[in-house]
Amino acid sequence: MARPHIEPFVDRDVPFKKMTLPGFPKGMQYKMLSLDTDNGASSMTVLFEPGYKQPPGMSYTEYELFIMSGSITIGEKVWGPGSYVFVPAGVALEALSSPRGATGLIFYNYGEPSFVESDSDHPQAERDRYAAVNAYDNLHWTSTNFFPATAPGCMVKILRFDPRTHGFTFMYCMTPNFWQDNISYHDCSEEAYHIWGTSWMMQFGDLPTGGYFWRPPYINHGAFASKLGILAIGRTDTLLYNHFHFNPWTNIEENQERAASRILHRNPEMYKWINTHGHNHPIDFEFDHGHAHGDRAHHHGDGMVEHKHKKKRRRR
Amino acid sequence: MKFIENKRSREAEAWLKKEIVEQKRRYRKIVAEQEALTPKRDKWIAEFLQRIQTRGVHTHYDQMRKVRPEEIPVKPKRKFKVVF
Repeated sequence: MARPHIEPFVDRDVPFKKMTLPGFPKGMQYKMLSLDTDNGASSMTVLFEPGYKQPPGMSYTEYELFIMSGSITIGEKVWGPGSYVFVPAGVALEALSSPRGATGLIFYNYGEPSFVESDSDHPQAERDRYAAVNAYDNLHWTSTNFFPATAPGCMVKILRFDPRTHGFTFMYCMTPNFWQDNISYHDCSEEAYHIWGTSWMMQFGDLPTGGYFWRPPYINHGAFASKLGILAIGRTDTLLYNHFHFNPWTNIEENQERAASRILHRNPEMYKWINTHGHNHPIDFEFDHGHAHGDRAHHHGDGMVEHKHKKKRRRR
Repeated sequence: MKFIENKRSREAEAWLKKEIVEQKRRYRKIVAEQEALTPKRDKWIAEFLQRIQTRGVHTHYDQMRKVRPEEIPVKPKRKFKVVF
């Protein structure tokens, strides 16, 4: 994902703008948090004005909506604060309205925001992946379950988990007087928004209510602290692994080298295999091979990851 | 299916262009703000490097270890930045 490092950014400092993209009904406003300059994928704070009405319809990209205040109605069901909805690409969401208004966060994951009025799914839609839950009422806080783990006092509620990439969307909190004295970086991009509260990071200072970041992989962050605690929502695009250390001055390249070195020690056989010549493109038997779509980075022993495949002729 | 191929409209192209310009402006502002934070950050780093020698550094959950003085990293001469 081609998004720049946006950290820290506080949306309270900027006004809402009217959503003017084609297809969207009047009454939706947004603040852009970050966007992918290649495909238009966007993370936004969103405001549904009182009386907002959206007919049934779909988006060309999957998207996630989290309600922070007020409520929306989807079909007959009312969704209040803490509600989370994951809508796969092409799935027609029932009519959405907000009689008294609402604010939330919306993440269009693989393309710019789009809305096409429709009361039936697109032929390519995967409706079984649709998910909706009220995270405040119906999910429990758990420890983070990442190894190595964050310090006690940081807890999560998992909203969505991608079984292929291990990317996930989660709520997290820090208890009052939370502190974690180390520096971390990850192999994944990480994004977060503070619904309430202020936390501190040694590199960036305070992140208050309305604070946001989009952080590309391998960027140092931490030590961490929060005097009164926080409530936040976070997302990653792939597996979140905590590479902890205590050198404040390492750069991205050094952190990448270290992460690769750790694979060598943690998964020596896999590391050896990935480095062997020949067809080293891992095949996941649950998914397409990938060449046709070019969805996995690989090379053929020449180190040329950027390449194309000729279409193979079908044997008759 | 995460994304369904479609032709981006002219309005969407224009919207995207405008948002990219605004994001560049936002990014430059963040870089400037973070540059201005340098004196405070230097102090925070010095305090952190002291704390990990006395109270310890977190290695996993509640596990910590005290860092020996000879393990404390030395600031390299290259320019240090936190926003990339």
